[in-house]
Amino acid sequence: MTRVLSDLNAMVAGQGGDGSLTVVTLLGNVLAGRGFHLYSTRNVASRIKGGPAAALVRGSIEPRTGMGDTLDVFVAFDTEAIELSGHRVAADGFVVYDSSAGPLPSGYLPDDVTVIEIPFGRLAVADLRRELYKNSLAFGVVSRILTFSDTEAASVLEARFASRPDLVERNLEALREGFTFADDHGFTQNAGPLRLTDTKHSDRILISGNHAAALGCLVAGVRFFAGYPITPATEVLEFMTRHIGSYGGVAIQAEDELAAVNMALGASLAGVRSLVATSGPGISLMQEGIGHAGAAELPLVVIDAQRAGPSTGMPTKSEQSDIGMLVHGGNGDFPRIVLAPGNPSDAFELAMTATNLAQAIQGPVYLMLDQAVSQDSATVPPFDVSNVEIDPGQRLTHDQLDTLDAYRRYAITDDGPSPLAVPGMPGGMGLVTGNEHDEWGKVSTDPVNRVAMMDKRARKIEAVLDEMPTGHRFGDPSAPVGIVGVGMESGVMREAAERLIATGTPIAGLQPRTIWPVPHETLAFLASKERVYVVEHNHEGQLAQILASVGRDCATVTSILKYDGLPFTPAELTTRIAEKEAAT
Amino acid sequence: MTATYRPAEPIWCAGCGHFGVEAALIAALADLDVPKEETLVLAGIGCSGTIQNNMGTYGYHALHGRVLPTATGSWEANPELTVIAAGGDGDGYAIGMGHLIHTFRRNPSITYIVMNNGIYGLTKGQNSPTRQGTAALDAALLGLSVLETTFIARGFTRAPDQLRRLTAAALTHARQGHGFAFLEVLSPCVTYNDTYPRWETEHIDLDADDTYDPTDRSSAFTRVVALEAEYRIPVGLIYHDPSAEPGSFPNPASADIDPVRNAEAYSGIIDRYRI
Ligand SMILES: Cc1ncc(C[n+]2csc(CCOP(=O)(O)OP(=O)(O)O)c2C)c(N)n1
Ligand code: SF4
Ligand SMILES: [Mg+2]
Repeated sequence: MTRVLSDLNAMVAGQGGDGSLTVVTLLGNVLAGRGFHLYSTRNVASRIKGGPAAALVRGSIEPRTGMGDTLDVFVAFDTEAIELSGHRVAADGFVVYDSSAGPLPSGYLPDDVTVIEIPFGRLAVADLRRELYKNSLAFGVVSRILTFSDTEAASVLEARFASRPDLVERNLEALREGFTFADDHGFTQNAGPLRLTDTKHSDRILISGNHAAALGCLVAGVRFFAGYPITPATEVLEFMTRHIGSYGGVAIQAEDELAAVNMALGASLAGVRSLVATSGPGISLMQEGIGHAGAAELPLVVIDAQRAGPSTGMPTKSEQSDIGMLVHGGNGDFPRIVLAPGNPSDAFELAMTATNLAQAIQGPVYLMLDQAVSQDSATVPPFDVSNVEIDPGQRLTHDQLDTLDAYRRYAITDDGPSPLAVPGMPGGMGLVTGNEHDEWGKVSTDPVNRVAMMDKRARKIEAVLDEMPTGHRFGDPSAPVGIVGVGMESGVMREAAERLIATGTPIAGLQPRTIWPVPHETLAFLASKERVYVVEHNHEGQLAQILASVGRDCATVTSILKYDGLPFTPAELTTRIAEKEAAT
Repeated sequence: MTATYRPAEPIWCAGCGHFGVEAALIAALADLDVPKEETLVLAGIGCSGTIQNNMGTYGYHALHGRVLPTATGSWEANPELTVIAAGGDGDGYAIGMGHLIHTFRRNPSITYIVMNNGIYGLTKGQNSPTRQGTAALDAALLGLSVLETTFIARGFTRAPDQLRRLTAAALTHARQGHGFAFLEVLSPCVTYNDTYPRWETEHIDLDADDTYDPTDRSSAFTRVVALEAEYRIPVGLIYHDPSAEPGSFPNPASADIDPVRNAEAYSGIIDRYRI
């Protein structure tokens, strides 16, 4: 009997450097070729080589940003993989175990799981002289389980090694050896136990949130980047180092985050759209500089790829525990905006918005990601670059500057931002400072001026409230119960809502994409519900606290929190909400 | 003509060395005919960190200790600007010291003027890392030890003509794209640490010494160490890399950010992610 799947979850695990990724990449290529949406994630120890490493992929007819509850196919290259992740396999799932690692550890897998034991590693070394070929061997077996035709599997493998023709033949040999083993275990061609449902291929890209955000900034005109390597933000540094030079820009690896943020401020001062990207520890170091952007009125985009804190925390694990710092961090009051994408499409779009908003408010705009949104990849429609808008804000042209009687860097205006000249423009000389200043930029502690300047800066936010990204809605809009969450919760909240609705608990969902200032949309959503669950990855309920501090009707808010370093599975989140609902 | 801010009157105590630094900078910029609108003076935080208000150029008040990365960012963004970083010894050698080493190494074509008075003036007289003149910490030696360093000089506000010459030389080095021009100025704080009498006797003018070769890094290092062992403070052009070549630099400030003209190239990046 062949079971037809519209949602496949697979995992390949071994030691770092094992090449586990290869099998998952190949599998993903088949799935994508068949028109499935992909979500892919990794699970790595924070070290270079060695240590348990896993690659996971989900292929589904519905777009999903998160893994499913259980694994349908699990390739384990060692005993540790079984011990760590065996419990995740579905009762009707398939385990392909590399028995060269020793006998299958007992007690970790559900009872009815089908296990195929093959000494991949040993065979790869004996027959093909290289252990790495075990990946192609394993892919051969997985292909047969999933009823991919042998030619389909081979063509995906060939495409994968297109740039390394020297490796193609040996890998094909390994693949065929995998087929032979599958035959021996009764998995003959075109008659596997699992099969993908039919669907139409559509044009998609597979991209991570970090790459999507970096690209969005580039497209919106960012031409200066400064960063310092830190997990899970490093891909932004890598992307910019690789691409920005071709567009006349500069990317610098600074000596630390203090330097990075101040370099970006200097570039912004010179009129260039500037970006920094880091994670919690780096955001902590950048606080003074970000406040300076607020006071001195310098446009700046800051990407925070959040990881589990506090302090060095768990560098490779996702969390949303910087929310409070982004919203309230830094000394003194200054206007700032915090946007939060939930998938790569959001990341691209909000990165463009953030870049323009930074110009519009002449101040700091955070793009808040979390490790899962930053580093996991998902298929999305190719980004549209035909309709990109570049908002110059109050930036003056030479002609506009010439028509002014006087140029005051901090001229008080009705809507907040002042006309902006940049160094090199005759007549635009100004003084830029983080000290309180008068309209000319001269230091001032005059109480009347102080109030005028504080109010002017605050007005800049009111002026752009309508341009803030609106949230994504899901679930049953008329339900009296609501669910709210951002970033990595976006995908899993949808799945939980679908299940709750299907089992008779109507629920309405909102994924706000503007966190700060708290938009009217979010408050209206809270006010319209009897109860709202705020789902977040931290210990203190930071998002809920912010909503409660601003919203009037927040007595209804209940936090659903997780801070063990793992994402919610759909089942887990569904149960957590169902239990609370049952108790009300 | 669009009117801009009126340069401020200095807020320094009468007799403060910083007056001399400002006079030399204004004179050197005039000597070199640098247009005000192409000049960006960035200053740190301290008494020294008010110099940018008095110039009539573009001016920026950086965070305490961060004037070098900020200036580096401005210059990287628009290398056609004459970028001048200025600040105190506390700003540059205490809280900001990490950046100084990396700026020597990175060698951006900016000028950095440190007003060394051995103390924190603005916060009312605490010790700085150079409290004992230069014996405690010598940034010139530090610069000499970084192989990428291209220009090191030290002036003294009691020698205004030399200071003006050194300032012009530093500006020229940077403006020609030869790299980072580092100029420390002995600039006494008459209020909290009046080092005029001491520095009058301790300073020694290398420019007046025919046997000194400022293009020879190792002999410069040896000489500076030897002088300091005798409690003398070398002043003048300490090191100048004769092989420094003008670089050619990207100019992000004039990069084309038009989304339509760039659309095809952006699509090329997106294509890499097609699956
Ligand atoms: C982060 C931070 N720490 C401390 C201060 C306080 N502060 C202002 S100026 C200064 C020292 C100034 O000394 P120096 O750089 O030597 O300049 P001088 O006043 O001597 O010219 C300090 C510590 C500050 N502004 N910021
Ligand atoms: S306190 Fe010292 S450094 Fe500051 S202005 Fe007065 S003399 Fe100059
Ligand atoms: Mg000082």
